[in-house]
This record gives sequence, structure tokens and C-alpha cells, in this order.
Amino acid sequence: MTAAIRFEAYTWRYTGTQEPALKNVNLDIEQGTVVGIIGPNGSGKTTLAYSMNGLVPNQYRGARKGSVYVMEKEVMDFSQAQLCQQVGLVFSDPEAQFTAMTVEDEVVFGMENIGLTLDEIRARLDWVVPLTEIEPLMDKPPYEVSGGQKQRVALASVLAMRPPVIVLDEPTSMLDPLGRKRVFEVLGRLKREYQSTIVVIEHSLEYLVPLADVMVLLYHGEVLLVDEALPFFERMDDLLAHDVFPPGVLEFFYRLKVAGHYPVPSPLPLTVPSGAMQLRALMEVAR
Amino acid sequence: MAVMHKTILGYVPDVSPIYRIHPFVRLFFLLVVSLFPMLISAPEWNLAIILVVILLLSYSKVRFATLKLYIPVSISMGVLIFSSYTILGGRHPEFRTVFTVLGFPFYYERIIAAVEVYARVLPMIFVMVLFLSTSRERDMLVAMRWARVPFVITYLTAMALRAVGMVIEDFSVVRQAEKARGFDPTGKSLAYKLRQFVMYIVPLFALALRRSDEFANAIVARGYSFTGLQNVSRPDYVLTKYRFRRMDGVLVAAISLVLVLILAARLGFGYLTLETSAVLRLLERWLGGGAT
Repeated sequence: MTAAIRFEAYTWRYTGTQEPALKNVNLDIEQGTVVGIIGPNGSGKTTLAYSMNGLVPNQYRGARKGSVYVMEKEVMDFSQAQLCQQVGLVFSDPEAQFTAMTVEDEVVFGMENIGLTLDEIRARLDWVVPLTEIEPLMDKPPYEVSGGQKQRVALASVLAMRPPVIVLDEPTSMLDPLGRKRVFEVLGRLKREYQSTIVVIEHSLEYLVPLADVMVLLYHGEVLLVDEALPFFERMDDLLAHDVFPPGVLEFFYRLKVAGHYPVPSPLPLTVPSGAMQLRALMEVAR
Repeated sequence: MAVMHKTILGYVPDVSPIYRIHPFVRLFFLLVVSLFPMLISAPEWNLAIILVVILLLSYSKVRFATLKLYIPVSISMGVLIFSSYTILGGRHPEFRTVFTVLGFPFYYERIIAAVEVYARVLPMIFVMVLFLSTSRERDMLVAMRWARVPFVITYLTAMALRAVGMVIEDFSVVRQAEKARGFDPTGKSLAYKLRQFVMYIVPLFALALRRSDEFANAIVARGYSFTGLQNVSRPDYVLTKYRFRRMDGVLVAAISLVLVLILAARLGFGYLTLETSAVLRLLERWLGGGAT
């Protein structure tokens, strides 16, 4: 499998800061995978996201070492307009990215910028609007809809450009549980139906963990751990030591395992339903 | 119950016939009809424009209750104009005094001038209220784009409109935050309130800087550049949602024709002037009789 995005010995330090925001990052993001990036505040997650679509270094001042490749081409060799067709970025504050007066104009904005034909714009609207479930909102001002709807509008406006890679920078940080669930439902559909390459930076792991193929732990600008989701969360002590708090169901079964009440070869359940099944099985064995 | 569409100033039901009119016609009406009072001195004709606008507001199904907001604006405007032409207008022995209040002479000529100016300003306010009550921000942009105004200018307009909403929102957040920490300017002097206004300005300025940063990132991340993409012509999807019908063309022609008629009447035949005004004759009979 080829890497959709590859970081090679990548270091970035913002002008006016002593410490690099990212230090010697080596990371491959394979095509068609969902990658979850976690880490405490200030660990460089947003800088990593911005480095993937060229906002760093194009929009920020700083010193750069190493390389970032998108589809095997160095980021610096793309124009910003070309790059946004390769890597779509959804920001944590959806409202900050709205530029139009109606949801429809907002979704269309990026497609107009890259010069799609009107027929192609209509075709993509027909695809992305039902996918993100924003039909009833199309005529409304984007800043007047609910938080979850705003984030789905922001996601739709990026998806409409059909970038092979979608990066979401804490997309649910401002949402209620239902809003979070619905955003991840859209991501789930993108994974299942379109095999999209999705990078999600997220603090709230409840919905991310079942979706992610690969998890990355970023800490103080360094990539400390990269692994598939299950083995990644098996290293619970490492995670807790680096201020990452896994979903409650994982931590619960991890503690059972440490206490010797959970069979060692069995994988830890990642979701509440699979946890409930495991618990039922354990109780039946005990009976 | 009819579904209401939000406009810049209020709400208009979706059954309003105004939606059959292309946004460009509405903008054209605003720009051209606002010029009419500048060409018309006779107050009765300017009052006729107000009447027409009221009829159009009614035809557009604009809720008149929402327009109550503009009554104080109109009254304040009248008081300001009347005061500046009379009390603050200075002493002019060459003018005829109608009456004197607390030693201030009210001259006939200045009262007539105030009436003329006020009768010019009022229709402009009404035309603006009609436009803002029946148009959304999007309509304004569509009208500009339809008129082939460069995208950069329409986009900057959109950002400016958007920024106004954001600043109002941010101001409200900052004010609530200040109140939550015990700041209550109620009952304090105006000077005190103005001094404390700095408390709002600093966080608002910081928020504006942050927002501009985020905004720049957002538009760059979606391929926007002021120079556009090389070898790519930018389509305008939004314009395809609106059709400029024959009726719109007729309306534009009719508005233009009225402008030409007014110009001809005023400049060619000397109509619509104060001298030919029936209101002026009435005022002269009423005030001029007592003038000395």
C-alpha cells in the first residue's frame, strides 16, 4: 500500500518560539486508512494537520526541516490550490471557516474556487448533501444552524472538493454527544463506502477508537507511538503516563486484566456493545 | 402559517411576491430610487415616493410591526434637521421671522429649507428599509455578481457583512463575560461608561485578530486566492439559482424611465422645484402670513 501522506524527519518550529512544535516526525499514513491522532494540548497535533495541507509553512512563519509528501510529492512542490484538492482540512471551530451567506453557498465555495463546471458542482452537491444530511439547511445562513449541523456543513464543504485525504482537526470539540455521533457516522460511511483516507485529531475517543485503523500518539511534538488500534490501546500504561485517557470501556477491561479477571489472550473491547458481550461471557464462565 | 425567510432587517414570508423579482432589480431600485429625492425639491413628490414605498412594503408582505424600529430614527432625523436649520442656524436679519422661542428667531426661509431637506431624507430611509426588509445578504451578492462586479469585490462585501455579525456576536460574549465578573455599568455616568468601553475594545480586538487568522486559513484551505487559479475560470453556481425574467427587464426599464422623466421634468421643464410646490404654497399661506 502506498502512503497518502509521509513525514520524513520532519521538524517545524514557529518563529518566536524556542521549542519546535514538531520534532523529527516520521510517519506514514496509508491510503484508505482511518488514522486517529491523539495527544494532550500543545503536543503539535494541529501543526501536524496544517503541515499536511500546506498551511504550514505557507501561512505561518517558522523553520522547517525534513519533508512532507502528499501522494509521493513534496508539499512544497504543490501550489496551495493544488494541495487543497489533495488534502481537505476541517477545522475545530466550524464557524470560523464559514465564508458564505447560506449553507449551499458555503458547500459550493471550494468547488467554485477549483474551477469545477456547473454540472460537476451539481453532481457533487447531489452526492455530498445527502451524505452529510444537510438538505434541510441548504437555504439557511451557516452560522444560524446548530453546532453539530455546522460541523457537518464544514465537512460537506471539504468533501465536495473530493480530496483523496481528509484531515479533521478536533472536529467534535465544540459539539454535544449527538453532534459528535453524527459527525462520526458520516466518517464511518466515508470509510465503508468510499475507502477514504481520513486523519482525525481528537480528544474524545469514544467514537474514534472503533473507527480508527491506526492510532498515533503525539507528545511534546514527537510521535511516541504508532500502531493498529487494538495493540495501541493494549499499552494502557504508556497512554496514561502521557496524559491520554482511553474510553471508559477500555480502561475498565484493562483494569480487570491487570487484576487477573480477564483472559490475557483476549483483545480488549473497543466499544460499549462489545464490552457488554465480553462481560456477559466472563460472567457465564464464572458461573 | 407561512414560512418566514430571514432578511437583513427582518422576516418576509416565503409566499411574498418579492421573491419573484430578481435581486438585481431590488438593488437597482435601491440605487436609482434613492437618487430621486436628490432631484426633487417639492416635498409632495418626495412624500409620494414614501407612499409608493409603503405600498411596495405591503405588496412584499413585510410585517409593518418590524418597521416600528425606524419611527424613532425618522423622528430623530427630523429633530436634528429642524434644529440645525432653525435654532442652530444662526441669525439672519435678511430672512423673515415667523416666531421667536426663548430669544431664538425661527425664520420662514429656514423652516422651508428644513421641510425640504427632511422630505428628501425620509424617502431615502424608506427605500433603504424596503431593500433591507426584502433582501438577504445573499441577494445583495447575487445582484452584484449578476451585474458583473468582479468576484473579489463581491467576496470582500460578503466578508464585511459576515464580519459585522461576528463582531456583534463577539461583543455580546465579551459583555456577558464582563457582567459575569460583576461589571455593571447600570446607573453610571456616560463618561464612566465610555472609559470602561476600553474593557470591551481590548478583547474584541484580540478576538478579531484570531478570527482573521482562522478565516484566512479557512479560505486558503479551500483553494481561494484573490488572483484565482491559473487557467481556471471560476464558475458562479449561486447565479444559476436565480433567473432574470422578462418582467425583471421591464421593471429595470420602468425604473430607468422614471429617472429620465424626473431629470427631464426638473432640468428641462423646471417642475418638481420648490417654486412649483403645492406644499410650499400651503406653508407660505400658513407661516408666511405671520412672517415679518
